[in-house]
Amino acid sequence: MSESSPLDANILETMQTFVQRTIARGRRSIELANAPPQPVGLTPKDVLYTRGTLRLYHYHPLSDEVYRVPVLLVMATTNKAFVFDLAPGQSMVEYLLKKGFDVYVIDWDPPTQEERGLTLADYTQDFIPTCIDRIVADSGEPDVSVIGYCMGGILSLIYAATHTDGPLKNLVCLTTPLNMHGMGLTQTWNDPRYFDVDRLVDTLGVVPAEAVTQMFEMQRPAQRVAGQLRLWDQMFDDEFVKSYRAFQRWGDETLPLAGEYMRETTKELSWGNKLYTGELVVGGREAKIANVTVPLLSIVAEHDHLAPRDSTKALLDKVGSTDKEEILLKGGHVSLIAGPNAVRRMWPALNAWLSVRST
Amino acid sequence: MAKDTPPDPSALFRDWVTQWERNFDSLANQFMGTEGFSQAMNEFQKSQLNAQRMFAETMTQILTNLNMPTRDDVLRLSEAVAGLDRRLERIEESLGNGPASQPTPVKRPPRTKQPPAELREAAAASQGGNGKKKAAQKKSKEKSNE
Repeated sequence: MSESSPLDANILETMQTFVQRTIARGRRSIELANAPPQPVGLTPKDVLYTRGTLRLYHYHPLSDEVYRVPVLLVMATTNKAFVFDLAPGQSMVEYLLKKGFDVYVIDWDPPTQEERGLTLADYTQDFIPTCIDRIVADSGEPDVSVIGYCMGGILSLIYAATHTDGPLKNLVCLTTPLNMHGMGLTQTWNDPRYFDVDRLVDTLGVVPAEAVTQMFEMQRPAQRVAGQLRLWDQMFDDEFVKSYRAFQRWGDETLPLAGEYMRETTKELSWGNKLYTGELVVGGREAKIANVTVPLLSIVAEHDHLAPRDSTKALLDKVGSTDKEEILLKGGHVSLIAGPNAVRRMWPALNAWLSVRST
Repeated sequence: MAKDTPPDPSALFRDWVTQWERNFDSLANQFMGTEGFSQAMNEFQKSQLNAQRMFAETMTQILTNLNMPTRDDVLRLSEAVAGLDRRLERIEESLGNGPASQPTPVKRPPRTKQPPAELREAAAASQGGNGKKKAAQKKSKEKSNE
């Protein structure tokens, strides 16, 4: 009999591993089919204020002393804020708390038909200022830093532009598209010659979550299938599966949009590009972002398909702040704020910029 | 030695998935980024909305004739109940019993934290020499790889 070569032994080992993993995948698939939704948003918190679609959370501190200035995270109106707090070790909120920040978060519930008339003015002249007033009262500090993500960044910018004497201390915009004419596919699909936003809003009142999800998923049509294939491949890796299921849950819990808000953002922001041109008026107030003079940090992602580079790059030039900085990081629209990419890159960059401006 | 190591089927599979996703998205985006696609998609949406409106109107008429509530009636009722619930919560809150007025008692740490020295120094360096506060307009790009 001839002796087996090292190559044969390696092939055997590879085959063994492959078979073991295939069995593990099958077993895990059955477990997951009946598993409850992945728990998310586990960092301890209090609900400080609720009103209709609006929820304001205050997170319990995780350090012995905190920076003087509290931080408010403003979530995009299309998604739940638990993306900031996916799981222990994968939570931006937990990271900021451990670094010594006092963290508040604005989260959104699905708007009801009763709330279909909400407008940009409700979000930027009522909800955000009210939350900031609550934070000032709760913390006893006269100023607050605001971090807005995606559309939350737009709302925060409009708030900052219309409350120039307000308690805003620092503004951080995460993947915030200012120039809507640089939005790529979204802009093409929103072409005013073809997209009848009035008919959509007048018929539905509240734009269903499915329509919002579809708009996101159509931009990366292979993403869902590729994600499922990757899940199958990594099914034996507990951490990967937990992370995948948390992100999946976040994507599945996309929010509907109040109709009037959709109509206004389409006509004023998307078609008119008025925040970019400085012509936007919200609730009777001029929202010129040149009026924003607080220290500003813009963090954008190199491979962001929802807020492409063409839509984000003008922000620094348009604001009136003298202390302003842009950080361009590897990654995409979501991986910028959550997941291993965020843990390694974005969170430390945010901490470095914000900590020295929070005393 | 490299030639003694057979290819890892999982790694090959992962590479194939990544490549397939990239190619598929790229092709689809080329197609969906055209004016023709936008026009067709929005026409389809209009016809869907028209059909939905007509169906809703017809159903409303039928249900009204049958003296039965429509979906809108049920939604209005549900929202009225939710509204009452919110009012009750606010009343409870004003009486000191509401959830929002009773946060978990947590010890509040002092607001005395200072940033670590290395972050202060880095910030001072980026804002100008000798720590002098100066207008800082900076664009930076991370060079590290994925």
